[in-house]
Amino acid sequence: MSSSNKDLTAISRRDFLKASGLSAGGLIIGVSLPVSLLGSAPDAEFQPNAFVYIAKNGDTTIWCGRCEMGQGISTALPAAVADELEADWARVSVLQGDANKKYGPQATGGSNSINQMLEPMRKAGAAGREMLVAAAAQTWSLPADKCYAKLHVVYNHVDDRSLPYGDLVELAAKLPEPEEPVLKTRDQFRYIGKSLQRHDQADMVVGERVYGADAKVPGVKYAAITHVPVLGGTVKSFDKAAAMAVPGVVDVVLIPRFENAYGSVGGVAVVADNTWTAQQALTKLKIEFEAGENGSYNTTQYKKQLVKNVEAPAKKEFEKGSLDQAFEEAAVRHKATYVGGHLSHSPMEPMASLVWVQDDKCEIWASTQDPAGIQSTIGAYLERKPEDITVHVMASGGAFGRKFKCDYVQEAAACSKAVGAPVQLTWSREEDTQTGYYHSCSAQHIEASVDADGKVTGWLHRAAFPPIGSTFNPAVVQPTAGDLEAVSKHPYGIENMQVESGMAKAHTRIGWYRAVYAIFYGFAINVFTDELAHAAGVDTVQFLRNIYDNNKDGELQEQAKRCRGVLDKASEMAGWGKKLPAKHGMGIAVHHSFHSYVAMVVHVEVDGDDITVHRVDCAVDCGLVLNPDIATAQMEGAVIMGVGLALNTEISFEEGAVVNSNFHDYPVLRIQDAPAEMNISFINQEVSPTGLGEPGVPTLAPALANAVFAASGKRHRSLPINPA
Amino acid sequence: MSYTITINGQVHKTDVNGDMPLLWFLRDTLELTGTKYGCGIGLCGSCTVHVDGNAMRSCLMTVKASNGKKVTTIEGLSKDGSHPLQIAWLSNNVSQCGYCQPGQIMTAADLLAKNPDPSIEEITTALEDNICRCGTYKRISLAVADAAKQMKGA
Repeated sequence: MSSSNKDLTAISRRDFLKASGLSAGGLIIGVSLPVSLLGSAPDAEFQPNAFVYIAKNGDTTIWCGRCEMGQGISTALPAAVADELEADWARVSVLQGDANKKYGPQATGGSNSINQMLEPMRKAGAAGREMLVAAAAQTWSLPADKCYAKLHVVYNHVDDRSLPYGDLVELAAKLPEPEEPVLKTRDQFRYIGKSLQRHDQADMVVGERVYGADAKVPGVKYAAITHVPVLGGTVKSFDKAAAMAVPGVVDVVLIPRFENAYGSVGGVAVVADNTWTAQQALTKLKIEFEAGENGSYNTTQYKKQLVKNVEAPAKKEFEKGSLDQAFEEAAVRHKATYVGGHLSHSPMEPMASLVWVQDDKCEIWASTQDPAGIQSTIGAYLERKPEDITVHVMASGGAFGRKFKCDYVQEAAACSKAVGAPVQLTWSREEDTQTGYYHSCSAQHIEASVDADGKVTGWLHRAAFPPIGSTFNPAVVQPTAGDLEAVSKHPYGIENMQVESGMAKAHTRIGWYRAVYAIFYGFAINVFTDELAHAAGVDTVQFLRNIYDNNKDGELQEQAKRCRGVLDKASEMAGWGKKLPAKHGMGIAVHHSFHSYVAMVVHVEVDGDDITVHRVDCAVDCGLVLNPDIATAQMEGAVIMGVGLALNTEISFEEGAVVNSNFHDYPVLRIQDAPAEMNISFINQEVSPTGLGEPGVPTLAPALANAVFAASGKRHRSLPINPA
Repeated sequence: MSYTITINGQVHKTDVNGDMPLLWFLRDTLELTGTKYGCGIGLCGSCTVHVDGNAMRSCLMTVKASNGKKVTTIEGLSKDGSHPLQIAWLSNNVSQCGYCQPGQIMTAADLLAKNPDPSIEEITTALEDNICRCGTYKRISLAVADAAKQMKGA
């Protein structure tokens, strides 16, 4: 049986190639990262950052330090390098970098990969191009400015000689790397801004893309795990006899809670010859759990309490102008409360990794968004230095923020340590659903005033949600001022504002879920704005325009202008205001998050409780778009995730434990419920690029809820609209 | 007890526990990892393979039940990635993370084998049990329609 498609030693071969590249005469080009990205100043032993390698035959390898989870970063960033390098993309291979600080921050989240890495990567490409051109100039005894590179070949303006890159690398490698290479101007871009095909698609459609769950090494054992169901609970007792008696079972491993934000909540794992045997044996374990202090967590009750906490005065975190005066002088006042549930990331690939703990080394193959987080967490767990933990970054089968945390890797390490063999641990879907780092449930109360001219003059906003900070520090029991900045620095720039934080002690682990707090902020603010527009008797699009145009806050002018830009574009795309059939309606929402701006118009049809999303028109301002097709795909995916969380998905707790278990009761969106039409448009590309993975999510749910109101007169203030 | 299963044209004899789902026999025993685990109870379609020419959930089909049958996995759908669906998946840039796509393609291949000219509604119906969390549904539909067109023209 061939196992070539998962031959992990291939990675070692590639590493060998990389290491031997210099002696083989290839050209290695580094990336100069600012100290801010490296975390510390490079020391004397600091090696150049090998991001680009050109072999003597011209074959070019570009390493991607950021993690690939489907967002296309491992195409977009290397393509930018290739563009500056004037490389022929057909000659370029992209490899995923292992965990290594030479790549700068590899943590892939917050939609900041392009923000942080584009310039350094472009410079690496440009440096390589200049070195190759210099080598050709030297060979021909011509001035460098008479020579130029084009698609893997250097030419000159004097005669018709040319030299392919491969022939130049030996000489180029001896030349100094330019410190300030000249970057291309936009009109010179070859790949940036073009819909270059992703480098990893071909492997995917033949089943050869190797994800963390697919990692194998000789002698691998397989594990399955059941977790302590309540956060802070313990395994009181367990009887492993029946499980050990199952043929093929290697061991039963008790995994205590690891007191680390990225560590295991605790549980019991079975290690066996294959995953199925481990899963079967797991069902034969007789485990008694102790629930602990979170044993009464009930989300139905909890959300009611959050509502109470925001419908009464709470902790004031931000104030400007005079809210009292604005409210007193109001022509129209309105107030409403919004509620949202917990969400689970539920990537199609559940948590999975392969770990091999040995006396002198620890090697890990994991789907991850944070390789350095694995190094530090496993280092802490094994009491070893982080740099002694080798992490091979595997393709993630979706992540959406969940794979930032590496509890599943630490559990695989515990299993490997216990049995003295490499262990592949794949969580069941049930464990994935029930042992998450959930999106916060939330309540928000907003009160606002509109004056006689239709201007929004005052805005009181109270928010209560268990913050992510609670996962790192249990003493954090309500949103911080920083957590509330999306309100206090909102592009509306309302003159009189007060922002308050309501109590919300966490009873489960809270994590970053794609778009994070922007999901519930975007929902509450946009639905409230629609309500306020109706209360003031003004069309919502016009009402929004007025708000942005009235923004006099000097620090928020750019935000207001760019919000207005996407608002105008999306409403134009959708034909806002056109006559619709009965039971049809349109709703709009605008949100600024992760430095980008999105407006969406959702067109629905409502028949009783049935909501059909017919069409979504979406305008995006994320500045320069590196790869329009990948960017469009990100927005399409955000729409799908947005429809799912707007309509159907919520994680509920009873007696401290998650009630949902699999896709029947956590019904993520399926193809039959996808909008029939999605139109995505990118505007304002003249400015620098900003994030795109997340900003598409927050606008969908409020635009949908506003559309439902337009279609049916029914106002939805809680998500999901139709809980499973 | 020994079982004989033909997988991608190759005959495999095995004495694993007959109750083992075909999914784990493929993934762990044969190390054919193109077939993915997603839910384990037939809800997501990531593990779809063809058994005697019909799309089946390999998480629900045991080794025992597969005895004597012909199984095709994503690795065996074509020799070199040249199935019209695989080509259409590339030309439409369908995949994001790609994890569910082998299952999507195997389900779609079953549809096209039985209905060479499906309407968009028929494509949707055929794929409604295959989840894609990245949200590539629109492109999946377009790619299946493209492949159908290609196959008709061929």
